[in-house]
Amino acid sequence: MKLNKYRKKSPWILHYNAGGCNGCDIEILACLAPKYDIERFGIINTGNPKQSDILLVTGPVTKRSRERLVEIYNQMPEPKVVISCGACASTGGVFRGMYNCEGGIDQYIPVDVCMRLRYQTPNKSLTGLYRHSPSWLKNQKKWNHP
Amino acid sequence: MKNEWLQIVLIILAPVIGGLIAGFERIIRARMQRRIGPPLLQPFYDFLKLADKRKMMVHSTHVFLGLMHFLALWFALAVLILGGDLILVIFLHLLSSALLILAGYSTRSIFSHLGANRMAISILAYEPVLILMAVTIYMINGSFDVSVIFSSGESLILKMPLAFIALLMILPVKLKKSPFDVAEAHQEITGGAEIEFSGIFYEAVYTAKWLDNVFCYTLVYLFGAGNPLLGAGLVVGVFLYVNALDNSSARVNYRQMLRFTIGVALPVAFINLLLSILHIL
Repeated sequence: MKLNKYRKKSPWILHYNAGGCNGCDIEILACLAPKYDIERFGIINTGNPKQSDILLVTGPVTKRSRERLVEIYNQMPEPKVVISCGACASTGGVFRGMYNCEGGIDQYIPVDVCMRLRYQTPNKSLTGLYRHSPSWLKNQKKWNHP
Repeated sequence: MKNEWLQIVLIILAPVIGGLIAGFERIIRARMQRRIGPPLLQPFYDFLKLADKRKMMVHSTHVFLGLMHFLALWFALAVLILGGDLILVIFLHLLSSALLILAGYSTRSIFSHLGANRMAISILAYEPVLILMAVTIYMINGSFDVSVIFSSGESLILKMPLAFIALLMILPVKLKKSPFDVAEAHQEITGGAEIEFSGIFYEAVYTAKWLDNVFCYTLVYLFGAGNPLLGAGLVVGVFLYVNALDNSSARVNYRQMLRFTIGVALPVAFINLLLSILHIL
């Protein structure tokens, strides 16, 4: 029985702010609200790395948050997808070059879907979450046991 | 004989029924918030997806305790549906919760410990009321057997309305719904005792929640046992009540929860017991 088609139907999100300004966060949380309602696609914001499929990172990596970011990524069981949400998470954005900032998250963890917008809107988050990442999830190879 | 087959089918299909209840519950909750909500079979999609994840466990005892939590709950439900001893049913349910608490304590995660602590407190909140309810049923029927409730022919809600109100007060604690969902508290301690389960091992805990739905609504159905229509009406009413309460209230802390259940629900159930002993109701 091929189970990988069900990955698309219930991707659970882990949302992590690596040190941004909360602008993208409120747009993501707006997706959960009645107007956009991502729960109709089976998407839940779990907040638990061990049970989630999509790691949604906002904000640039700061020196304080990079260890947590890698740790959270390692705790997630495969198949998993990482989305860098917004310009800051993708490249560092306006924070690039600052003394506390390390730049985009792709320096530390592999990023699958990159939303390199200056700012997020719920529409854009929805496109990334619903259209792109589930297909990434579906096509990801099953983790092989050593 | 036909009735026995129905009971066996109900017991075997209990997880499926519970899953459908969970899916319906998510739709109802979404509609109450003016959302569309997920499809009805969403819990089953989640189930199949979790089966496909990489297998990660903290240690084998943790997984074993989670699995035994599910089995003990299923066994409690089987005894309840087969018309067994109500005290036995309540204590089997307690055993299943205790196994999950042990699983919560067996890991090193601080959230897991916190969730297990809070679950123990939740048990302290709802268990006395359930036991008083069972004793009241004994005083009325002269037996703890569930089958006697069905064969007596009279609906319990007319004889013990106050105990039903007490049950309504503790059901959110039992089903882990707001305002009494300190044990699970997804935004606060991200699931409590179940936090360290993942992938296929999480499924035991996830489906145990579906069984818990069936268990609680069967308990509600007992109050309208003599009259199937009344029983179904009570179940639908309580279902809507629990979800409306879940949507419209914020989480209280464990002290407030304990104060409410011990201070209000328990005396209400106790007054019902006294009235039953004195043959007033």
